[in-house]
Amino acid sequence: MIAETKKTPAARYGMSIDVDRCNGCGSCMVACAVENNVPPAASGATDRTGLTWIRVFRIDNGAEGSGRRSAFVPVLCQHCGKDAPCVSVCPQQAVDVDPATGIVGQMPERCLGCRYCMAACPYHARYFNWWDPTWPAGMEKTLNPDVAPRMRGVVEKCNFCHGRWHAAKAKAVANGKNEIDPADYIPACVEACPSGAIHFGKLNDPATETAQGARDPDSFRMLESLGTDPKIYYHSKKNWVREISSAPRPGLAKENARG
Amino acid sequence: MTLRGTIVFSIGVLAALGAGWAGFPRVIYQTHRQPVDFSHQIHADKAGSKCDDCHAFRADGTFAGVPTLDKCSGCHAAAMGSTVAEKNFIERFVTPQREPEWLVYARQPENVYFSHITHVKRANLKCERCHGNQGTSNTLPPFQQDRISGYSRDIWGHAGRPAMTMDACVACHRQSHLEHSCLDCHK
Amino acid sequence: MTNSRRDIFKFAGGAVAGALFTPAPWRLITDTALWSENWPGIPRPARGEIRAKFTNCALCPAGCAVRARCVGEQPVSLAGVHGGLCPFGLTGHHLPYHPARLKQGPIEEAKAAVRKRAPDGIAILDLNPGRTVSWTYRRAMASLQGLYLAPESQPVAYDLSAAKTVLSIGAPLLDGWGTPANVNAARQNFRLIQAEAVESRTAVLADEWIPLAPGTERAFAQEILGALQGERTSVVARELTADGSSFVLGDAPEIPEINRLLGAYGKIIVAPSEAPVPEPWKKSAAAITRLADVPDHSIGVLLIDESNAASYIPWHFIEPKLTGDNPLVVTFAATRGGYARHAQYALPIAVYPELTDDIAPAVDSIHPTFRISVPLVAPVVTPPAGLANPADFVGALAGVPASNALRERADAIHKSAEGAIVTYADGKETPVKDLTADAFWKSLNQGARWDRPPGLSSLVPAASRSTLRPAEPIESSADLPLIAIREPHNPALVSPLMTKLYQESGLRLAPNRVALNPDDARAAHVPNGARAVLQTRIGRCSVEVTVDPAVPPGAVQVGGSPGIQDVCGPAARVKVVPA
Repeated sequence: MIAETKKTPAARYGMSIDVDRCNGCGSCMVACAVENNVPPAASGATDRTGLTWIRVFRIDNGAEGSGRRSAFVPVLCQHCGKDAPCVSVCPQQAVDVDPATGIVGQMPERCLGCRYCMAACPYHARYFNWWDPTWPAGMEKTLNPDVAPRMRGVVEKCNFCHGRWHAAKAKAVANGKNEIDPADYIPACVEACPSGAIHFGKLNDPATETAQGARDPDSFRMLESLGTDPKIYYHSKKNWVREISSAPRPGLAKENARG
Repeated sequence: MTLRGTIVFSIGVLAALGAGWAGFPRVIYQTHRQPVDFSHQIHADKAGSKCDDCHAFRADGTFAGVPTLDKCSGCHAAAMGSTVAEKNFIERFVTPQREPEWLVYARQPENVYFSHITHVKRANLKCERCHGNQGTSNTLPPFQQDRISGYSRDIWGHAGRPAMTMDACVACHRQSHLEHSCLDCHK
Repeated sequence: MTNSRRDIFKFAGGAVAGALFTPAPWRLITDTALWSENWPGIPRPARGEIRAKFTNCALCPAGCAVRARCVGEQPVSLAGVHGGLCPFGLTGHHLPYHPARLKQGPIEEAKAAVRKRAPDGIAILDLNPGRTVSWTYRRAMASLQGLYLAPESQPVAYDLSAAKTVLSIGAPLLDGWGTPANVNAARQNFRLIQAEAVESRTAVLADEWIPLAPGTERAFAQEILGALQGERTSVVARELTADGSSFVLGDAPEIPEINRLLGAYGKIIVAPSEAPVPEPWKKSAAAITRLADVPDHSIGVLLIDESNAASYIPWHFIEPKLTGDNPLVVTFAATRGGYARHAQYALPIAVYPELTDDIAPAVDSIHPTFRISVPLVAPVVTPPAGLANPADFVGALAGVPASNALRERADAIHKSAEGAIVTYADGKETPVKDLTADAFWKSLNQGARWDRPPGLSSLVPAASRSTLRPAEPIESSADLPLIAIREPHNPALVSPLMTKLYQESGLRLAPNRVALNPDDARAAHVPNGARAVLQTRIGRCSVEVTVDPAVPPGAVQVGGSPGIQDVCGPAARVKVVPA
């Protein structure tokens, strides 16, 4: 039986995000926080010290006056497929890549809180717990039992809703199946998106919408030139959106990005 | 070192050994009794022969663990035998509809994810592999709670280790080449 | 034998060496690690069986179908049954625990005070009209000879699937205007032209965004109207007439006339069809009066039902309607932040998802529908009796039995034997005539939606609709240099997790914030993040400032807090000054 699990081909989970369908409502951000027991902001938290595993940035084409156009870009951990910068810098081995799923995992229990990984991550997708996690009285009843709350002083980030992956796996075993049903494993942000802008699935299965989205000529990845092989594909028919996401000059994307 | 020095040193060694082996466990562990004097043996004989007759899986594959009072009062609405333990159980829990606060020897930290069904159905492990011969015991062993960590000293299994530690999990996974990533077992 | 210092060291050395051969040090190391994992103060999520419960979101008239993932009885996350939910709906299960929630109020005292004063002209303002409780209010007002007030006397519904071109003048069409699932499904089939001063969330996804100069929305509408009447030419007007199936959204007073000329009435814009109502209710119900049509100084006792308000009417419009002589205002609200600031009695109410209430027809639904927001949790306030039930309160004043109104309504729908009920758990559709009245009621209470195909409906626009916004020339641009642009209406009570959007990112403008162009901020001497005062001819309000180059010069985007709306609602021109 154990040999059977070993034979199942490794999945390569990824996302394709259609920037042209995102209206910046923020459902993905709050759904993520609900699912992963991310606490509400401490009173002193700002956009630099908050916890947003997925974050929607507003970017614009830099034009002045009536020629200015904006777009919303959700940014989460890009689950680098090759040489993930956060993995190699961690002194604690608190970050690993699961060969079976391609998911870059963060282990808050091992984390020292040195934040080296945050400095290394080119996508600013890692967040540090600057405060003790606190919920208003009574609200702790609404926490998700499938995800452990983290403590102050550790780094956390998106892990493609790993609690849902566990649950889907247990359900597959209960039904006597080897593979999990794709309908059982959908991250919270994908499920929450009202405009259906995010697709999640196996990139190595050409039939999935995610893999099709990734192959589209209008799709691109963030900072592809760094060679980290991210598994989040973005899609936009607008040239300026595709260009800004490759950030030809350091700082250019940042100047025009707010959020 | 002089002979006298050796003797003083040896007294020190002996004192520490005595304190560490005899005194320390008394200090660090606090012994609690389970709320009910429960016999797995009697239940295995009379109620159900398989573990999952009471410790059942739910439809979605999650493990229900220690059965709730509903399951108990299904049979024990009124006394079935004549034991004192049963009489006490009915008086203290069934009649007032109060859930017994079982002390779980195998309780894991919050950040541990463990799927019973994967180990039992997919890997075909026997319950005894981790939980020991609980199913045939006549009394529940005392619950020795670690005063600092809050976990049980022992799970009374025969996995070769005093408790279900991460080392024990990793050793088995390594043997079966199923050691993939931290998030396999952490949440 | 004499003990020397040396002996003590030897003994200690022996003890250390010996201790290494005992479990003590190793146990202590492990224990310390385990203890640090269970850091005190970090809550432990409760474990238990995972179940699904279904309900309808009561936060706005969209009434999205919701599947709640529950641990035991406690919902831990919400998801849409037909597509995603908005961020407010997704976090609805946090609302009962909101720290700003109103928890106590003198219910009996308020009732006695209203009884004493009622003959001087009682009125109820229903900010979420079209529910079953709205009928209770209308029946009660008929019997008390009072007024039933709603923001609009003749609401309309839009059939987006029939439209090929939509011109929205500042309306948040893709951002909370209708049911997200419906709007997204219809979105592929119409061309959207968004005309507004800022590039809103709707403008970003529109096929075309026409950036208007701030404050020229009305002039733009007049231009379109003129073009349709043949007085001038306009590219947009030509686009609207080209495909013969278009309409205009917005709140300029010219818009009903534009839509009439476009032939949208009866085709795209129809009268909302309501689910059947028991006949006796219709006979004994007060008419719907628009607040703007009430003579000034005529209301002595005003009850305001704020539960899940679909809109906020600035206090400036309500105050003149009250008698000058000590009017009595009673609000039913979840927080102290809204009209409770102006009320003698602020009575707490149950919030979604504790309450049992039906949902008013959605603006984008032409089907008559009936759905109940079923409680997912028991009221969190202790004692639950401390919460006021507005229907029972008003019903008791007038002697109108209200507690069974939902069931009576459901029975009336069942009696009509029309339509079908869709249960969310299995997606099954059952015709009403195949169900008994009890079975129908039971499925409604397990999260289900009744609807039937729309009947023929035609709608003629109301003859003249005076706008809520008064004439603007009285405001001078010299004193008040900026023009306020309001955010779309948001629920009054939002989850503490909305800090993700308001504070931990700048994705949405927080209710107490205003956004300014960098040039205007510099001129006003307010840096990013500073506290400031928003000033209009009506009054002042304390705000926080966001400096945002996306806001056009000369405009200020204002958040949706009742305080800001009170000062900005009736006034177009504002000034921001340092606090």
